[in-house]
Order: sequence, then structure tokens, then C-alpha cells
Amino acid sequence: MSEILSGKTQPAPAERITRKGFWKTLGIFFALIGPGIITSNVDNDAGGITTYSLAGSEYGLTLLWTLLPITFALIIIQEMCARMGVVSGKGLSDLIRERFGAKATFYLMIALFLTNLGNTISEFAGVAASLEIFGVSKYLSVPLSAFFVWWLVVKGSYKSVEKAFLVACLFYISYIISGFLAGPDWHQIRTAFFTPTLRFEPGFLTMAVGVVGTTIAPWMQFYLQSSVVDKGLKTEDYQYARADVIFGSVIVNVVAFFIVMLCAVTIFQAGIKIETAKDAALALAPLAGKYCTWLFSFGLLNASLFAASILPLSTAYTICEAFGWESSLDRKFAEAPQFYGLYSLMILLGAGVILFPNVPLIPIMFYSQVINGALLPFILIFMLILVNDRKIMGSHTNGWTLNLISLVTIVVLIFLSGAMIWTALV
Amino acid sequence: MAVAPNAQVFLFLSQILGGKIVDAEDCLLGKISDLVVSNADLYPPITGIFYTPATGKTAHRLPWAKVVEFGEQVLVSPLDLQDQPQGTLQEGELLLKESLLDKQIVDTHGAKILRVNDLHLLKMNRSLFLVHVDVGFRGLMRRIGLEKAADKFFQWFFDYHLADHFIPWRFVQPLSSPDLLRLKVAQNRLSLLHPADLADIIEELDIHKRSEVFQSLDVETAAEALEETDPKIQVRLIENLNPAKASDIIEEMSPSEAADLLGDLPKEKAEGILKEMEKEAAEDVKGLLVHHEEKAGGLMTTAFPILPPHATAREALELLRQDAENLDVIYYLYVTDADEHLLGVVSLRDLLMAAPQTHLSDMMDPRVVSVKLEEKKEEIADLFGKYGFKAIPVVDEDQRIQGVITFKSLLEVIAPELGK
Repeated sequence: MSEILSGKTQPAPAERITRKGFWKTLGIFFALIGPGIITSNVDNDAGGITTYSLAGSEYGLTLLWTLLPITFALIIIQEMCARMGVVSGKGLSDLIRERFGAKATFYLMIALFLTNLGNTISEFAGVAASLEIFGVSKYLSVPLSAFFVWWLVVKGSYKSVEKAFLVACLFYISYIISGFLAGPDWHQIRTAFFTPTLRFEPGFLTMAVGVVGTTIAPWMQFYLQSSVVDKGLKTEDYQYARADVIFGSVIVNVVAFFIVMLCAVTIFQAGIKIETAKDAALALAPLAGKYCTWLFSFGLLNASLFAASILPLSTAYTICEAFGWESSLDRKFAEAPQFYGLYSLMILLGAGVILFPNVPLIPIMFYSQVINGALLPFILIFMLILVNDRKIMGSHTNGWTLNLISLVTIVVLIFLSGAMIWTALV
Repeated sequence: MAVAPNAQVFLFLSQILGGKIVDAEDCLLGKISDLVVSNADLYPPITGIFYTPATGKTAHRLPWAKVVEFGEQVLVSPLDLQDQPQGTLQEGELLLKESLLDKQIVDTHGAKILRVNDLHLLKMNRSLFLVHVDVGFRGLMRRIGLEKAADKFFQWFFDYHLADHFIPWRFVQPLSSPDLLRLKVAQNRLSLLHPADLADIIEELDIHKRSEVFQSLDVETAAEALEETDPKIQVRLIENLNPAKASDIIEEMSPSEAADLLGDLPKEKAEGILKEMEKEAAEDVKGLLVHHEEKAGGLMTTAFPILPPHATAREALELLRQDAENLDVIYYLYVTDADEHLLGVVSLRDLLMAAPQTHLSDMMDPRVVSVKLEEKKEEIADLFGKYGFKAIPVVDEDQRIQGVITFKSLLEVIAPELGK
């Protein structure tokens, strides 16, 4: 079957590139990018920013180096997803359902729903926290932002939504600017960045695992693969998808770098104890100026809204795809009840929980992180099996070098996830 | 077991898979791993069983004729060595688990892509037939082993009786079957769909399945579906075909749709296809290609009826009857002189009411509303709105008729700006 298809394909990629000039190649790159960059940036969501700020303000520059291996692992894993999307033309939950059957898929989807719900709650908590810094009550900001998110996706077309998302990616620059506003000692940072330090104390290790866990999350693999499929990239255009993934993975860690660094050179050096991203933003004002606080909170608001738009949508898509339910924004509510039902439920619960007075936010996030960590190994193992399946991938399976690298990456991640669950529950 | 030999029993594939196969001496041969059906019939009979032996991993095939009793255990008569062909499928055969279970199918009755949760089989007179595909929630729960629990929960919590959602096999077109491209026209149930529904389904499929499904269609169905497909996807589908097949399909399309599509293709590819097309059709399309897609020249079609003023109503009707199949416009006949200067228009209604001998010049309406080649779509839309025509002719500077814009082609360019 694949022979018939590939028999009719275009000239080899190398030939295509030499035929097109450099500018044309660059033009194609910009037309085909998006999925990788958007996925990576959503990854720097409210939970991510909180973890990075805590890492910086509690352990200074000592954790900065972990961002290098994290970037590497992120590229390895996302590249496999993008490749599966381009080659198979199917989403990850689609492939999992067809390869591993109904039972495994069902429990996987329940776990994914729960962890994504937990993440959505933390996004709305991020919206509430960032706007409280500007003096807006959460009873106003949360319902409004929930409505905005719902309206953007349900009433907008996919194209306008993707553009809005790409613009949201630009706003992450606010963290880079605020990093420079703090006026750090670059020499010291460079030394810290290239000197791996490992302290064998529970707090330090938990934080290291947290940084990894927040950067490589289960939902990303599903979202990335689906959006690569939606773009309809051909196998010959795979190189652009890979460039997109690498570019996105680097960008996300540059932003993380600046957040850790900013908190390290200000809050950590002043010896202030913080617990949330909001604390971090407020602590910045006397240390680095009020503009720095504003930029930091604006970044948090942008990140939270951005992720709150994507997480429920991605969850609804993924689950409907696995069970064969109608899932398209082009359908009316009555035509795709499961899709809109799941989507609306996520937003309603996500935003609703925040509005309860005295809601136990920290345990909620905590357990959602635990499910995240428990789910990730399964998804990574499924991915590794799928990407090596010749029936699905044809000649695009992993080579043995890549298999070895991904296996090591996955084993390390599984070990870290296990460690996180263990420290969380014991 | 106390089941009468001719009793009718419904079974689910999920309950059959993993069942034990034993021979007359109650010796375990292996476990059922898949069933083979012959897809030729309306209700395909099971023709074979694949089983994995207790020792070893590769699946063996067992002919259905060897099955003595198909109950909780499958009892088979002793096997000869030649009864075990090496697990290969014959023409028209389909593996139920491999190609259907958990895979996508098209429900040609409801015009939807669905995922198969289970398969419903009927056991009758020692034969087993595939009758329904289960796409419902209850089927999903059965696979997970929570069927009873789900039934009870829905009854207790919502007071709702959870029913099965079956689709009869005759409305099912499998998509994962490896021989989609080798289907005979009659077997391809996709042609039962309305072209617009078929186009929707093609758009929803992934890129590989899309071209596979498209290439499995007969030329006429392919052309009809292609006309209704999103332009970007049209280009992809045609790019994957060789020029000969592509030109066959494009010839079947209306000239204006064909010109829009060729205009969107890379130049080399479009020229290759035009070369393969019949001369007359290619000329028509080439004439349309020079015009801007959103102006009158780009919207119009060249497949419309023209007649001289001295023709009679009878001759006109005769001409319509002969050409109707290839015409995009049949509601209006355009009356022109020998140089194709537009003189008047006759509607089909006028024609049907007129005495057969009446000359067109006596019945035509000389006040024809027409547009120039460069007219913009907004102005054309205003004219359609004002006069309520079904089509408007396009003329050049000398009032010579060049083409006709149908309301449908206008709607296609205006629709994206309506609503949202």
C-alpha cells in the first residue's frame, strides 16, 4: 500500500531544496511552522512559570544547567511525534487506539482528561493571580477569561485562532525583557549554565524533577501530533516540521532560562521565600523595579490564557479522535455533542473551581502533577512502539542510534517521573 | 451444550477473540486471534479462523469447513497438513480484527466517519455471518469489560436505557482494508454517497487515506466529489495522480470548476494534464484559465446552450435533451447571431409553454442582463439579488457571449464572506 503511494511522490527532498532558492525555502518554513512553536510555548504555562520561579528563587542559578538536557530530551520526543504525524497522517490517540485497542485507550484517556483538567485549573489560577497584581478581583477576571477562551475557539475559525496563538507566543518576550531589566552578572550566569551541579537533598531533587516534569507533559505529544496532521504536511516537507520542533523547543527553554535567572539574581539573592508565581512577581518590585513586576505578571497572564485556550481544546480533540466521535470546530453543537461537551466541561470546571472560596489549590495541582508523572511513561512507551512499527511508519522508523537515544531519554524520564510520584506520595 | 443446530444466535467479535480451539480429543490447538470474511456477499460469511497456537507466535489459518461446533470452545475436526495455507488472504477476503476493529469506517447511510467498537455476528445453521458494525458507547464499554456496569449506571443515574448503536454491514465501507484500491466499482459503497457528503468525508480523512479513497472511486464519482471539495485539498488529490488519470477526472468536471482547479495547480502539472485531455475540453478550459478567479471571466462556465434566432421551440428542446448531460446551464437558452452576438434569452419555462413551431426570435426576451468579463463578484452578486436569475451571461466589448455564470459558482466565492 505504501509502495503504491510513495511510487507517485515528488522528487527527493534534496532535489527540491536546491531547486528552490534560499528565500523560497525560508518562505516555506514560515508557512509550515506553527505546531512546534505553539506547543512548546503553551508548555510554559502557569504551572511552568511557577516551577521556574520557585527553582530560581529557592536554588538560585544551580538548576539552570538542567535546561540543556531538558531541551535535548524535548527535541528527541517531539521530533518523534512530528514524524509520526507527518508520515502516518494520524493523531497520536488515533494510532494508540488502532494499535493497542479499546481498553488501554479508555484508561489512558481518563487519565489524560484528569491531568489536563488539573492543568486547566492551574491556568485559571494563573489568570486570577496575574490580574490580582493589577488589582482585578478573581470573581471578575476568571469568568471573563473563561468566556473569552470559549468565545475565541467556538466563534473564531481555526486560522484566526492559530494567528492569535502565534501572537501570544511573541508576548513571551516580556520575560526576556524583564530578565535584562534585573541587570544580571552575565559572567556568573554563564559559569552556572555550563557547570552541572547536583545536590543530593530531597528538596533539590524534587525541584529538578518538577522542572523536567513541567516541561515534558503528556498532553503536548497529542497536541503536537494533531496539529502537525492538521497542517497536512507531506513527507517531503518533514524537514520543516523538524525545524519547527527544534526551534520551538529551544525557544521554550530560552524563556525558562530567563525566568529562572531573573528569580535567581533577585529573589534568591535577597533571600526572600516565595510560594507562588504571584509572590515572585510581587517580590520583584522592590528588587528590580515595578516595570519588572508588571512585565512578569503580564507574561503570566498571557501564558495562562494561552494555555487555557489550548488545553481544553486539545483534550476534547484527543478523546473524540480516540473514540471516533465527531470532532471539529466547523460542526454545530448538536452534530458534535461529545466534542463541545468535553470542551465546555473542561472550561467550566477549570474556571469554576477557582471561584470557590478556600479551594485547596495546592493539593489539586499537586495531584494533577502526580497523574501527569504517572501517565508520561505509558505514553512514551506507546510512542516508542508506534514509531518503530513498520506498518505505520514505513521506512521512517527510528534508526538504532535514535532508538538508543530515545530509550535512554525515556528511561531517565520514567525514572524521574517515578521519583516525583514517590516523593509526592511518601 | 444444549443449542439446537439451527438456532440463530448473535455473537460479538470481542467475545469470540481469545476463545479456545480444541480438536475431537479435547486437545488445545490454540486461541482465536482473528476471523476472515469473504466480502463478496451482502452479509459476508466467515471463511476462516486465524489462531495462535499455544506454542509459537505466528498465526495459523483454519478453514471454516473444519469447524464442527462453534460455542464457548471451538471444536474442529482433525486437520491435514494441506488444510493450513500460510495465513494468506485471498481476493476479496477481509480480516475482522486487523482491518475493522478499532479502525475507521464510513457509514454510507449517515454519511459519517465512525470508529468500530465491536462487530456483531450472526450464527445460523453452522455458518457465521457478519451482520452489523457496533459503533456505540455500549460497544466501547463491552470492550473495556464494563458493559453491565455502564447499563446499570445509566439506568440508575439518568433513567436512560443504554442501547446498542449498530450499522448494517451493507452501509459500511471499511477504510483500513488493504485492497481499497483494488475494489471493484460495484463493491465500492462510497459511490452511494451524495457527492457533497463524499467530499466532506474525503476532507476529514488523513492525507494518505484521502488519496487512497479518492483513487478508489470511479471517474464520474471522483469528478463529482472533487467539484465539492475544498480547493487546497483538490490540488493535493490531483497532484498525487498521474496526468492520464487526472485528465480523465477533470474532463468529467464542469469547465469552470476544472479551470479553477487547473489554475491552482503548479504550472508544469497543469500543462501535463491539459495535454492529456481531449482537445475540445482542453480548449474550453484553457479559454477560462486566462481570467481572474473572482471576476466574471473566472466564474463563468462555457457549457451552456446557444441557438440561432430562427430555430424553433421544438429544435431547441431537442438540443437540450441531447446535451443536457454536459451542460452546466439548462434553464436558459441564449439566442445569438452567427458571430455569437447576444440577441436575447429564452427560459426553459417559456420553451415548454410555447407551441413547437414558434421561432425563438418571437418568444425571446431581448432585454438581457449581462456582465462584462472584468466585472467583480460583488457587482455580480448584486445583479443576482436584484433580478433573481439562476444564471447571468458574460459578454465581451462587442456583446459577444463568452460564458455564463451560474448562481452556484457565484455562491461558492461569496459563501465564505457570508455568516461568520
